[in-house]
Amino acid sequence: MVIAVAIDENVQAITDLSEGISYPVLMDPNHLLTELYAISNVPSVVWIDENDKIVRPAAAEFGTNTFTEITGISRETHMQQVRNWVHDQIVPEDASYVVPDLSEEEIQARLHFRLAVHLRNEGKVDDAETYFDKAAELAPLDFTIVRASMPLRGGDPFGEEFFELYQKYQDAGSPFHGIPRSK
Amino acid sequence: MSEITIISESATPTQGNWVNGAACIDAASLNDAIGWELKPEGLCQEDTCVPVEDRARIESGDGIDIAEVARILGRPSLLSSSTNTVTIGQPSVIRSRALSEREAPNFTLKDLDGEPRSLSSWAGKKRLLVAFSSW
Repeated sequence: MVIAVAIDENVQAITDLSEGISYPVLMDPNHLLTELYAISNVPSVVWIDENDKIVRPAAAEFGTNTFTEITGISRETHMQQVRNWVHDQIVPEDASYVVPDLSEEEIQARLHFRLAVHLRNEGKVDDAETYFDKAAELAPLDFTIVRASMPLRGGDPFGEEFFELYQKYQDAGSPFHGIPRSK
Repeated sequence: MSEITIISESATPTQGNWVNGAACIDAASLNDAIGWELKPEGLCQEDTCVPVEDRARIESGDGIDIAEVARILGRPSLLSSSTNTVTIGQPSVIRSRALSEREAPNFTLKDLDGEPRSLSSWAGKKRLLVAFSSW
């Protein structure tokens, strides 16, 4: 079964995105999952078996092929791998990859982000900005910090600032807490 | 006494003071704030107790040093006297066990109807945990 967790505080946007979906969709406005599972970007998919063991750690996988040209990741490959696991207990080779732990800075960035979200909810916009800034200084290439904060700060997560972030990320060798891809 | 808000799974206002940079909160608020209590045997949550070697480091006439409690529980913290908050993260050992020993951390989050749901409520099934967003 699929459990979708929105690393997001925008219930309306997620409700719209989830229209027609029958599996559970959970809201994670405080980014609990990014701390517990060391997740640094979305989409990230983790395979968990009947005994609560992680069979395949976080990997970027997509429900569509919209980004296949950019990412080199195909929806069908993942779906076939999932079928092989469900029916025949076969797991792909890359499943043995060990995701690196969060650094102290990345852990602190998550706390700074969480505080900023709290302050924003309290209407303390200037204080929130201070902590969004500090979070971004601590983890400048973490999409769950920098990109996620864009709509909370009046920015556009699909605009110029996203492309600047993506360029910086690529220039740094695409550091990502998850199974690395060739492309 | 002033109000210090402890932000962990939720945000809990407590009575407390900033003493030389440390956030000292009222002992009676500790359980509400992080779900642990200071007892003679140590820091306790239900039947589990973590011994406290140097009690004077966490407990004084000013209250309980909440960052020191977090440290003993292996949880990171962020002190902010300017906003009167202490933000406490999840135990680092839960994440490192997930990464090295492949134990899937349980969590409880609300669904779109506001109902709390836990990963463990679907135990015994193969699950694809999909982290996504609107951003």
